[in-house]
Amino acid sequence: MDAVAIEVFLQTLISGLLLGGLYALIGIGMTLIMGVMKIINLAHGELMMVAMYMAYWLFVLFHIDPYISVFIVAPVMFFFGMAIQRFLINPVLRVESILPENQVILTVGIGMVLANLATLFFTSDYRSTPVKYASDAWYLSDYWRDSPIELSLSVPWTVSFTISVVITVALWFFLTKTDTGKSIRATAQDLEAAMLMGVNVERMRLVTFGLGAALVGAAGCLFIPIYYLYPALGGRFTLIAFVITILGGLGSTVGAIIGGLILGVFESMTATYVGMGWAPVGRFLIFIAALIFLPGGVASLLRSRRLGK
Amino acid sequence: MKRLVLLMVIVFLSSLLITTVATAGDTVTFTIPLPLTGSKAKFGEIEKRSYEIALEEINAAGGIKGKKVKLVFEDSQGKPEISRAIAEKIIDVKKQPVIFGEYSSSCSKAIAAVAEERKVPYLVVTGAADNITQQNYRYVFRMNPSVSYYTSGLRSFLKEVVKPRTIAIIHESTDFGTKGAEGMVKDAKRIGMKVVLKEKYESGAVDFKPILSKVKSKRPDVIYMVSYVMDAALLMRQIKELRIDAKLFAGGAAGFAIPEFIENAKDASEYVVTATLWSPMVAYPGAKDFAEKYKSRHGKYPSYHGAEAYSALYVIKDALERAKSWSSEDIRKALKETNIVTAFGPIKFEDREGYQNQNFMDTLVLQVIDGKHETIWPLKYATRKYVYPIPRWRDRR
Repeated sequence: MDAVAIEVFLQTLISGLLLGGLYALIGIGMTLIMGVMKIINLAHGELMMVAMYMAYWLFVLFHIDPYISVFIVAPVMFFFGMAIQRFLINPVLRVESILPENQVILTVGIGMVLANLATLFFTSDYRSTPVKYASDAWYLSDYWRDSPIELSLSVPWTVSFTISVVITVALWFFLTKTDTGKSIRATAQDLEAAMLMGVNVERMRLVTFGLGAALVGAAGCLFIPIYYLYPALGGRFTLIAFVITILGGLGSTVGAIIGGLILGVFESMTATYVGMGWAPVGRFLIFIAALIFLPGGVASLLRSRRLGK
Repeated sequence: MKRLVLLMVIVFLSSLLITTVATAGDTVTFTIPLPLTGSKAKFGEIEKRSYEIALEEINAAGGIKGKKVKLVFEDSQGKPEISRAIAEKIIDVKKQPVIFGEYSSSCSKAIAAVAEERKVPYLVVTGAADNITQQNYRYVFRMNPSVSYYTSGLRSFLKEVVKPRTIAIIHESTDFGTKGAEGMVKDAKRIGMKVVLKEKYESGAVDFKPILSKVKSKRPDVIYMVSYVMDAALLMRQIKELRIDAKLFAGGAAGFAIPEFIENAKDASEYVVTATLWSPMVAYPGAKDFAEKYKSRHGKYPSYHGAEAYSALYVIKDALERAKSWSSEDIRKALKETNIVTAFGPIKFEDREGYQNQNFMDTLVLQVIDGKHETIWPLKYATRKYVYPIPRWRDRR
């Protein structure tokens, strides 16, 4: 391998990891909801879109940097998510129906309503990142003059990635160390046992949906500096979250993190070495391969190793 | 599931609309399919507003042959199957003798097939894929140049000023993008450039850096991109980020030629050249008036799509006024003989170079200079002298 090939490889790997870190954050929210509620939240991408609009307007009107508005938008999204669960999903859960997947269909409807409301309020205009540092980057050759290869590290991508990691670690602590976190995990593992142990399952559902919405809301803020927004953007991110959820193992947070990273690196590598037009194909190949060869996702691998020890 | 819902919506809407009649008394109603929701809604909106401006002007001047004109817009969501359904309704239910509109190539193609089958003339307004007018259709007319001709001006700029030896082509994986890239491959052969890389991508992608680092490793003289606006801005931002120093960054109309490109890519857009069909400052009669009128109402200048839509109604008006009767056959004959200059440029439908009923016209080259699109080519229309060679990223600012 000559210097140029190495440069291309490393730059691709960097891009893939950064992208994967952000994908993971989108995926975790869906996975959490999946684990506890046993439904796929197909309005996930639309929730992210709502959060992005919030972050965008916070910046335009009050000059609050998207990275700071994470702390405003995520809590708002938490309550928004709880409200959706409380007033829309819960009533449907209680209704006996022909279709057992009523709630999933409901989330599709919620997604459509959100997207159309956004079109109504904000028009269908594309809005670009308002921040100034959008295309700033650090360059290897600025620090190491005679470097044989040139690598660049985008400022907003790196910051977004770092915050995403911090949020993920915080979530992990929350789920493993706090009572509420443990109750959520208990509900996800065995609903009836959790009920018998005195876990307030109803409340856990509320908290989980709120948490899922808050996580994807945070992801939305992190995407503002590097991407753009328009009302119909939700669908593609719902899809990505869905693939990650399947790949990671339904309901597993660690699985979702690894799944997100795998997807990010895989997409970047496909783009460089196969062709960027193949990225969507690659995404579904992974999806199908995971379903066939690894039905439990990455989580099942982790679990079997732990049992082996 | 999604499709089922759509179908139900269509059925519901069409049941509502059956009761309206196309021509009643002294008004004439045209139904125009446009993407008013979905990811292409932005362009649908520009076109709708432009049609409305033309409509007001025409009605204020007495309508078409004394009849007041009315326009009805139907949302195709940018999906060919929905456009097709709308077209069938316009022809079969509303009995409209001529049909025009729609934005994307794939939707225009769907309508073209219906129109040809039912022998109703269809005026393509913005769909640019080459093969729409290459299928020996007798009833399909196109007023905008096909995508291979979007770049005729850019081609001569490259040949006479830049004289590049290698080119890398990045395009979105849609009909429009693929055809645009193929056109550039042919152009490259014509002016002796080697295509070192040709890659497609999925529109809406988040990260272009993998593909761009591959482009960087090939060191092309020119990087040519066919993209819609947000992809275009993201591409240029990430090119800046990776400091890819090509001699020239060129865009194939669409996303690169509209003001939003500069707003979104900010300083990364400086010195990017783009082929375009139209600019608000161009010297065609009525172009500036239309652009100013649009700006005063909607706050910003329209893109060339707007000018195409605005002029389309005038082309229809012209044809209807010359037609012997308002039967589809007579309107087709009248369209065939069209020879007018609109705000969008001269319109004349010709059969040549494998095309039928295609309008051929000169295209312009714009360059972003000091954060503004300036016409730089052909020199006789230039508003400013082009900047070439362009500075390297490292030396900027």
